[in-house]
Amino acid sequence: MILDIIISGLISGSIYALLAIGFSLIFGVARIINIAHTAFYMVASYCIYFGTHKLGLHPIWGMMAAVILVTLFGLICYKLFIDPIREHEAAVLIGTIAMAIAMQEIMLLIFTGDYLSVPSLIGGYLKIFDVKVFYQQVLTFGMALLILAALWALLMKTRLGLAIRSTAEDREVANLMGMNESRVAMITMGISVGLAALTGAVIVPLTTLSPFMWMHPLIMMMAVVVLGGLGSIKGSFVGAYILGFAEAMVVFLAPMGAYLKGSVALSIMILVLLIRPEGLFGVAFEEER
Amino acid sequence: MKKTTVSWTVLLGVCFVMAMSFPAWGAKTIKIGVIGPMNFVQGKGHWNGAVMAMEKINARGGIQVGNKKMKIKLVKADSNEFLNVMDATNAMELILTRDKVDFIVGGFRSEAVLAMQDIAMDYKKIFIGCGAAHPKLCLRVAGDYKRYKYFFRGTPFNSRYLVKTCFIQMATVGAILKKVLNIPKVKVAIVAEKAMWVDPMIKAAQGFIPKMGMEVVGTWRPSAVATDVTAELSAVQRTGAHMIFTTFSSSVGIPFARQAGELEVPAVQVGINVEAQKDGFWKATQGMGNYVMTLNTYCRDVEANVLTKPFVETYIKRFGEVPTYTADTYAAIVYNLAPAIEQAGTLDADKLIPIMETREYLSPGGTVGYLKDAEGRHLHDLKWGPGYLTSLGVQWQDGKLKGVWPNRWKASKDAPAITYKGIVPYKIPPWVIKKYKK
Amino acid sequence: MGILGFYLRKLFNIVKREMLVLPSRIVVGLFFLVLLLLPVVTQDPYVLRILVLTSIFAILAASWDLLSGFTGQMNFGHALFFGVGAYTAALLNLHAHIPPWGSIPLGGLGAVLAGLIIGIPCLRLRGTYLALTTLAFPIILMGIVFAFSNITGGELGVSGLSRLSGSRLSDYYITVVVMLGLCTIMWKITDSNTGIIFHAIREDEVAVRAAGINTTRYKLLAFCLSGFFAGISGGLYAHFMRIAGPSTLEVSMSFTVVIWAIFGGIVTIYGPVGAVFILFPLLEFFRFWPEYRMLMFAVIVLLTLLYMPDGLFPWLRDKVETECPRCKIRNVATRKTCRVCTAPLD
Repeated sequence: MILDIIISGLISGSIYALLAIGFSLIFGVARIINIAHTAFYMVASYCIYFGTHKLGLHPIWGMMAAVILVTLFGLICYKLFIDPIREHEAAVLIGTIAMAIAMQEIMLLIFTGDYLSVPSLIGGYLKIFDVKVFYQQVLTFGMALLILAALWALLMKTRLGLAIRSTAEDREVANLMGMNESRVAMITMGISVGLAALTGAVIVPLTTLSPFMWMHPLIMMMAVVVLGGLGSIKGSFVGAYILGFAEAMVVFLAPMGAYLKGSVALSIMILVLLIRPEGLFGVAFEEER
Repeated sequence: MKKTTVSWTVLLGVCFVMAMSFPAWGAKTIKIGVIGPMNFVQGKGHWNGAVMAMEKINARGGIQVGNKKMKIKLVKADSNEFLNVMDATNAMELILTRDKVDFIVGGFRSEAVLAMQDIAMDYKKIFIGCGAAHPKLCLRVAGDYKRYKYFFRGTPFNSRYLVKTCFIQMATVGAILKKVLNIPKVKVAIVAEKAMWVDPMIKAAQGFIPKMGMEVVGTWRPSAVATDVTAELSAVQRTGAHMIFTTFSSSVGIPFARQAGELEVPAVQVGINVEAQKDGFWKATQGMGNYVMTLNTYCRDVEANVLTKPFVETYIKRFGEVPTYTADTYAAIVYNLAPAIEQAGTLDADKLIPIMETREYLSPGGTVGYLKDAEGRHLHDLKWGPGYLTSLGVQWQDGKLKGVWPNRWKASKDAPAITYKGIVPYKIPPWVIKKYKK
Repeated sequence: MGILGFYLRKLFNIVKREMLVLPSRIVVGLFFLVLLLLPVVTQDPYVLRILVLTSIFAILAASWDLLSGFTGQMNFGHALFFGVGAYTAALLNLHAHIPPWGSIPLGGLGAVLAGLIIGIPCLRLRGTYLALTTLAFPIILMGIVFAFSNITGGELGVSGLSRLSGSRLSDYYITVVVMLGLCTIMWKITDSNTGIIFHAIREDEVAVRAAGINTTRYKLLAFCLSGFFAGISGGLYAHFMRIAGPSTLEVSMSFTVVIWAIFGGIVTIYGPVGAVFILFPLLEFFRFWPEYRMLMFAVIVLLTLLYMPDGLFPWLRDKVETECPRCKIRNVATRKTCRVCTAPLD
C-alpha cells in the first residue's frame, strides 16, 4: 500500500512538475499567465498522433518533430497575439484563453472529438516491489529529473540563464542594464512552450487524446505553481510532488472517493496558502506599487 | 457596375431574410429535429441514424398522412451539450420556434436532456430521447402526465434494466471463470465512474453480487473524465480480484481498458463501457482493450431479429462503422413515428400519443413496448426482457467486436434458452488464464 | 397636478442637460429604451430567450467587474458565486417551496456567504496568487456537489423548479428590468465613495491603508457585493432554465465571464454589460455555421484585443468623447471648448 502510494505519487507528480515548470518560467520572466500553456501540450500530442498514425513516422521522430513544430508555433502565437499587448495584463490573460479555445476548436475540426491515442515509446511494464509500473511512466519520471537538471544548468551556468534570472528579478532594471528584455521574454516563451510540447510527448502515450484534454492539467498545473510559489522552479517541483502524493493517497485510502482526488489536492493547496500566502518557496514580494 | 453589385447584394439579402423568416416553406414535409452533440460520436450516431431513416422513408415516397404523402425533412441542431448545457436549450428552442419542427429525436447528457425536455414539453412536441438512461426522464411522465406525455424514451432502456442485464452477464462470465479456472469464489472489484446514474447501480451491485455466489472486494469511483487510472488499477490488483465490474459512460473507459490491458491486470472486465461499444475503441486503446466486455445494442453479425441485419449492414455500408446506440434515432423514426403517424392519419401530437404508448413493434434492437408504472400510469419507458429489448453482451476479440451474450440464456428456470444468431463463445484473456490456471 | 408637472419638467431637464449632451449617455438611454420596447416589435420566443440569457449573464459579467475590475482582486472562480446562487435558489425552491421572488434573493445571499467564506482566507493573497486560488474553489465545490449527490442530484442537477413567471414575455421583462436595475445599482456603487475606495485599492493599496482606511473590510465588502449580484444572476438562471446543474460551476464558465468583462473593458460596469450583449447573441448568430462557432468567437476576441487592448467600449468612448483637461468633465469629441468650464479642448 505505502509503496503503491509512493510510486503513483511520484509518477503523477512528475507529470505535473513538467507542466508546472514551463508555466512558472514564463510567468517569472514575463509576468504572463499563459492559460494556453496546456493547450500547446494538447497540440503537441495531436502532432505526435498525426506524425505516427498519418505519416507513419517512428514515435521518436514524431515526438521530435512535434516539439520543434509546436515551439515554433508557440513563438509565432506569442509574436502575433501576446507581444503587441504585453503591457495590458488583463488583455494578455484573455488573449491566452482565447488562444487556447481557438486551438481546441481547430483540433476539434481536424481530428473531431473522438478519443485517440498513440503508442508508447517503450511498451510493457516492469515490477518494482510487486507494483506494476509502465516503462513509459519510468521514462516520464526520468524525463522530469533530466529536464529539471538541464534547466538548472541553463539558468545557473549560462549567460542566457543569467539574463532570464535577472529579468525575472526586476524587469526594468534588467532593461536598464542593457539586456534586451523583449528578446529574453521571447526566448523564455520558446523554452516554456517547448517544455509543454515535451511534456505532451512523454505523457501522451499514457493518456487519451481529445481536444479538451488541456482543461484538467491546466488546473492542477496552476495549483502546483501557486502551491510552490509563483516563479520558483524549485517550488513548482516540490509542489508537483505534494499534489501528486495527495492524489495517490486519496485513491488508495478512500477508494469510494477516488473522484475527489482533484478537489482534495486543491484544498491542500488552499490550506498551504492560508499559512504561507506566497507559496512554499515564493518570495514574499514587497507590496508592488 | 458598382450599382448592380449593390442591388444584387440587396436582392440576395432580401432573399436570405425571406428564406429565414418563412420556415414553413414546404408545407408538404414533416420536419424532424435531430438534436445532439454533433462534434462527438454520440451526435454523429443521432444524425446518421436519422439520415438513414429519412432516406428510407423518402425513397418509398414519404409517410402516408391521411390522404396525402408527406416526405421527411431533417433539421440538424448541434446541442453542444457536453460543453455547455445552455447551448443545448437554445438549440432546442431554435428548432422549435424558427424551424418549426414537428418531432424531435436525440439528446444525450442527462442534465441537458432534462432541460431540453422541459422546452419540448412547453411547445407540446413529441420528443423521443435517444441516449440518456436516467429513469427520472420517464418518472416525470408518470408524475405529471398532462405536461410530460410528449416525451418518449427511444433508447437505451433505463438504468435499472441496464444493471439487471449486467448482473446476468456477470453471472454468465463468473460461471465460465469458475468452470475453466477452478476458482471457488469469484472476487469482484467494482469500478464505476462518479456519476449519478451509476449510484443506484453500485448499491444494487454491492447487494446482489454476494447473492450470485461472488464476493465484492472493493469499490472505486474515478472521475468520469480521468485520464490516468493506474493508481486505481494497482489498488484493484492488490485485492486479488478476478473480475472487474465496470460502469463507464465517459472517456475514462479508454484509459481504464488500455492501462488494464497493458499492465495485464489478472481480472476480466464485464459491465458497461460505452467507449468500448465504438469502433474506434481498438485504435484508441492501441489494441490493449482486447477481451474487454460491455453491454451493447448492435454488433456486426449478431441478429436479434430479422430487422437487425439489414439495418446494421446498410449503416456500415453508408457510414463505414457499426452503429452505436444513439443511431437508434433510425428506429425511432422508421418504426415508431412513421407507423404511428400513418395509423393516426395526422401529425397532431395529442392524437399520436395514445397510439404510440400502446403500440408494440419490431425494431432492429428487439421488440419495443412501453411500460406503465406500478399504479398503472404511463411511463413511456421501454420494456425489457426476453421477447422485448435485451441488448447484447459484446467482447473485443483480437480487433473485432463479437457478440457473446445472450448465449443459451434462460430468463427463468423453465423459460426457453435464448441465443441470438451470430453469438460466439466468451474468451478469457490469456494472462488471466496464466495467472490462475493450476 | 402641479407636482407632477414639476417632476416632469425636472426629468425633461435632466434628459436634456445631462443625457443628450454626451453620445455615450445617449447610447445608454437608447439601450434601455430598445430593451424595454423590443417586445413591441417581436415576440419571437427564441429571440426573447437569447435576450433573457444575455441579461442574466450581463449581471454576472458586471458583478465580476465590480470585484475584479474595481478592486483589482482578480477572481478566476466567478462561477462559484453563480453556481452557489443557482443551487441555493434551486434547492430552496424545490424543498422549501419558496417561490422564485424569494428564492432568487436568497440565492444571492447564499452567494454572499460563499463570498465571505472564500473572501476571508483569500484576503491574504494578492494578484496572481489570488487569481489562481479562486480558480480552485468552484472545482472543489463541484467535488462536493458530486459527493452529496443525493441532495444536489450529482451530474443531473436539481431540476423541476418552478418557472420564473407564467410566460416568456414576462420572463423577459423580469430579467431585463432586474438586469437594468442591478447594473444601475452597481454603477452607482462604483460611483459612490465606496466605489472610489475600491478604485483606490486597485491603484495603490498601501496608500489607501496609509490614509486610515481599513482596506480589508472594503475588499471583503467587494467580495460580498459581487457575490450577491452574481448569486442573483445564478438564481435567475436556475429558474429560467428550470435546472441548476454542475455545468454552472465549470471552469469554462469562470473563463467566459472573464472574457466578457475584459473584452468589454474593465472598471466601467457598462463595458462588461455591453460585451455580453454583443458576444452572447453573436455566438448564437454563428449557429448558421456550427462547426466554426467557437473558433470564430475566439478569433474575434483575439483580434479585437489586438486593436483595443483596454476593451471595446473604453476604446469606442475615447473615439467619440474627450475629457476636458481642466475640469475632467467629458465632452463630445466634436466640441472645441468644454461644455462646463469652456476651457479649450484639443
